[in-house]
Amino acid sequence: MSDRITVEVEADLEDLVPVFLDNRHKDVARLGELLEAADYTAIRKIGHSLKGVGGGYGFDPITDLGAEIESAALAGDAATIRDARARLADYLGRVDVVFTE
Amino acid sequence: MTDETNPTTGQGHVLVVDDDDDMLGLLQRWLEGAGFEVTAARSGDEALRALVTTLPDLVVTDLYMEGMDGLTLVARVHEDNALMPVIMLSGHAQIPDAVKATHLGTSAFLTKPVDKDELVAEIARHIRPRRPEGGRAFARSLVYCSDVMAELLEQAELVAQGDVTVFISGETGTGKEVLARAIHEASPRHAHPFIGVNCGAIPEQLLESELFGHEKGAFTGANNKHEGLFLAASNGTLFLDEIGDMPLDLQVKLLRVLQDFEVRPVGSTRSYPVNVRIISATHNNLEALVANGEFREDLYYRLNVVPLHMPRLAERPEDIPLLLEHFLATHARKTGAARKRFAPDAVAYLAGAAWPGNIRQLVNAVELCATLTKGDIIPLHMAQKALREEPARLKTLKDAKAEFEHNYLVSVLRISEGNVANAARIAGRNRTEFYKLLNQYDLDPASFRASAVDK
Repeated sequence: MSDRITVEVEADLEDLVPVFLDNRHKDVARLGELLEAADYTAIRKIGHSLKGVGGGYGFDPITDLGAEIESAALAGDAATIRDARARLADYLGRVDVVFTE
Repeated sequence: MTDETNPTTGQGHVLVVDDDDDMLGLLQRWLEGAGFEVTAARSGDEALRALVTTLPDLVVTDLYMEGMDGLTLVARVHEDNALMPVIMLSGHAQIPDAVKATHLGTSAFLTKPVDKDELVAEIARHIRPRRPEGGRAFARSLVYCSDVMAELLEQAELVAQGDVTVFISGETGTGKEVLARAIHEASPRHAHPFIGVNCGAIPEQLLESELFGHEKGAFTGANNKHEGLFLAASNGTLFLDEIGDMPLDLQVKLLRVLQDFEVRPVGSTRSYPVNVRIISATHNNLEALVANGEFREDLYYRLNVVPLHMPRLAERPEDIPLLLEHFLATHARKTGAARKRFAPDAVAYLAGAAWPGNIRQLVNAVELCATLTKGDIIPLHMAQKALREEPARLKTLKDAKAEFEHNYLVSVLRISEGNVANAARIAGRNRTEFYKLLNQYDLDPASFRASAVDK
């Protein structure tokens, strides 16, 4: 199940994307730590942030996952958070960015 | 990313505030791509610091941030920049948040994830690019940012330099006298008097005397020589307002003065040379008056050398928010109260109103709103009330009568040069009654005596 996902991003954002993706990897790591600590407030913040920023860069799935994580954190639903985190990591691993004018 | 040596023109300067670096970078990139100059701040505190050094035309801020949140930032921004448009971004679509934000001065509220085009469109809707700093020292008294006013003032500044006769047309209350004064101030004559006379407010019989002067004994009550406004304005500017109201026989005499550069006071055999710059104005359609014989064509051409036109307020709605702020500040200074603000929806409402009374009506509406609003923010319903209740002709009958009486008394005092006995005689009242009237209007006859007149 390793199909690549091609995402088209505006050329304007070319130099910002590597940092963006790197930060998302960091988010995945952080989510793991926070789950251990059951810190749902901090998890919610990350979810909220992902929701706000993903689509803007052209990664709609990141927005959707962020929304899911945010709601799950509100409900204290660790299982859903864990699952969404896994899907996020998977997505990040499969994404190829193509820049368009 | 601001380039001090090459300021962006046209689009405007946006300050973007967000504590998430990825979001901040994205917004900055989007807005720069859309042609805006952008300053980025990572927090409310950083934003406030940036405001001091680079005054932007609009602020975009996230609502939920570490430290100072968006609502607090809006309030702090508006403390010193009451009209700064602020667009709020939030990941939550809750209505109460949006309503609260609007009440506290936010111009627009967008939910994240934000669509780039939607954001750019909202910014374009609310942004008010400043006039380039250091442009236009001319007419500092005029408040505007619109193109139509910029063009008008460019023309006005050009004609101000010379002596050419200027004619200003425009509806009542559009600021014709303000423009006339600005022209005078920018002219070589600025150190000399600017004298304005409303030809429609002065009774016919007195107008001739007022303008051209009179000799002692020229008519009942003229116990002293009076030099008239043409001579009083020597080396300066004479502003003839409501020239369309000047009676025909006076128009003839005025034309003679403008052609010969000489004035002959009523009852005099002597003529005196005249050296004034003439600016005239009217709300009438002077061409129509010429067409039906109420205004002399030759005088019209003599006055209408350079025509300038003051637009109706409704023709420059983008200036309305600036004017509102200006008169709110004036009101606050006058009453000593804290300066109030209009809520953004009230500003939008007022900017779209018809304003038949133009700026005069706007001033009254602002004062009414500021007086009747207890809190700091004037809500929409108050603005609506002010427009409903203020008729285009703003005065009550009582006020209109009072204004006429005041103008009349001033004329009579001028003509009699502060001599109350003569003034009373001209007015057809006994001295005691006349003094009472003067008191009522707070007029001091001493200030009309020749020695007291400040040239």
